Amino acid sequence: MKSDNDRTGQLSEGPLDSRTVIGFYHVDLAYDDQKAVDNVSFTVANGEFLCITGPSGAGKSSILRLIAMDAFPTRGEVMVRGMMSSKMSRRKVPMLRREIGFVFQDFRLLEDRSVEDNISFVQLVVGIPHAQIVKNNMRVLTQVGLYDKRHRLPRQLSGGEQQRVAIARAMVNSPKILLADEPTGNLDPVNAQEIIDLLFRINDAGTSVLFSTHDHGIVKTFGQRVMVINQGRIESDEKRRVPVNRKANLADKMYIAAARKDRLNV
Amino acid sequence: MFKNAQVAYLVRESFAGFHRRKLTTGVTILIMGSALLVLAMLTLVTLNMGNMLEKARAGIDMRVFLHEGLDSRQMAELQPRLVIIPGVQNVAWISPETALAQFKEGLGEDAGILDMLDSNPLPASYHLTLTPGARNLKAVEAIREEIAVWGEVSEILFNQGWIDALESWTFRFQMASLVVSLIVFLAAVFVISNTVKLTMAASARVIQIQKLVGATNTFIRIPYLAEGMIQGMLAGILAMGLLGLAGWFLDGRLGGVIFFSVQQIFGFILFCIVLGLTGSFAAMRKYLTMQSEI
Repeated sequence: MKSDNDRTGQLSEGPLDSRTVIGFYHVDLAYDDQKAVDNVSFTVANGEFLCITGPSGAGKSSILRLIAMDAFPTRGEVMVRGMMSSKMSRRKVPMLRREIGFVFQDFRLLEDRSVEDNISFVQLVVGIPHAQIVKNNMRVLTQVGLYDKRHRLPRQLSGGEQQRVAIARAMVNSPKILLADEPTGNLDPVNAQEIIDLLFRINDAGTSVLFSTHDHGIVKTFGQRVMVINQGRIESDEKRRVPVNRKANLADKMYIAAARKDRLNV
Repeated sequence: MFKNAQVAYLVRESFAGFHRRKLTTGVTILIMGSALLVLAMLTLVTLNMGNMLEKARAGIDMRVFLHEGLDSRQMAELQPRLVIIPGVQNVAWISPETALAQFKEGLGEDAGILDMLDSNPLPASYHLTLTPGARNLKAVEAIREEIAVWGEVSEILFNQGWIDALESWTFRFQMASLVVSLIVFLAAVFVISNTVKLTMAASARVIQIQKLVGATNTFIRIPYLAEGMIQGMLAGILAMGLLGLAGWFLDGRLGGVIFFSVQQIFGFILFCIVLGLTGSFAAMRKYLTMQSEI
């Protein structure tokens, strides 16, 4: 009798598009007997922006957990930056995580540390020298427009500003993939739009972005690929041809040019 | 393994917890110190009881009585034979006159009753003191059996009741010490483990972010293990300090009480460090495997 890995082996060992950064191949994920992800297959190309939408409990966060290898498929195979879930040991997971940035609905900032310390912290963990940290902080905080507020504590910032700090923190180590799990869930429409624009700018500079949301109002404004999940299954996965509300303005263009000059993924 | 910047971070973080969580760290050290104080007190009581029992064991001796009518040469010849018996430390000759004088001294005011005797009824004897290793019932029986077959010996006496009682008390005391030590040890590990769990719960977000950005479990563990070791060391020093203070205060009232030697104090503090490390490790192992990052 073949194991799950044997069955999925053909998929994982098949020819992969070199541009594919994330691949799901007939993936199931079950918590106890409850399937959170049910036979899901899709790929994400390098530099692509994918919006995953669906009602609460549809399996959006489970897909992000699988990408971060915080959970492993009960069937099928997940590939992230060439690393296969079936061949991934727990010890190697931290190496994968260094390639991924995370943004959450609840910001998850360290409340007792300043904006700058929150961003320094993730660089210290991966061993970036102090002088480089100072430069990186200046760069990302300028890019998210919070350099002047670098000494403030998170509670002294608005929700939108806190989320921008979280994005700066996610991007400071130049990850290749950004996972944003309901990043606009706690924000008013104006701040939500600002955060989406920031995520588009990050994507324009080459980072693959996976944006999960249950808010259909936001999705309608997207001129990007939108995947709808319901009860753990993909209901639809389509790329919209015409951007509805997306045009690079002068500020965006300046930002992208600056980021590219820095050879960053932001 | 780690970059210089990471090592510097780990060193800083190992001590930063004390600064960030002054109150909880203080309470942790106080609780740990209390558990360790009980353990140290118990160890000290065991040490002193052991010392007292050893002193009591020094009272175990034997009297070898000789037949009447032996001449002085025959009696003198016995001494070297007694000395070479394994377990015999010292051999003292007690003449009938010395024995009578000791008997009179023991009678005190009633000693006059002995004046009624025409002659000294007490025989000559040898008084054997034993080496520390032979101060137990088994060894004493072995010595008695070896001497009993000698023709010159009429009777051998030793304080069997005393030895029996001592053996029994020693055993009970050792068992009680073992059980109580084990309970206190487990309580100390439990306290340390729980306090580290609380510390980790308070640092849940920090750990979560560390894991999200790719910190290995080893990297995450190190500051907490170091913190546990430092807390264990400080709690050990606190326990020893309090015990030393109590010892100094009670010194006049409890004469002859022995305290830990410098080596024993260092040994105890080292034990506390290992205890802190073990407690932290146990708590973290469970915590890190339980946590989901997303």
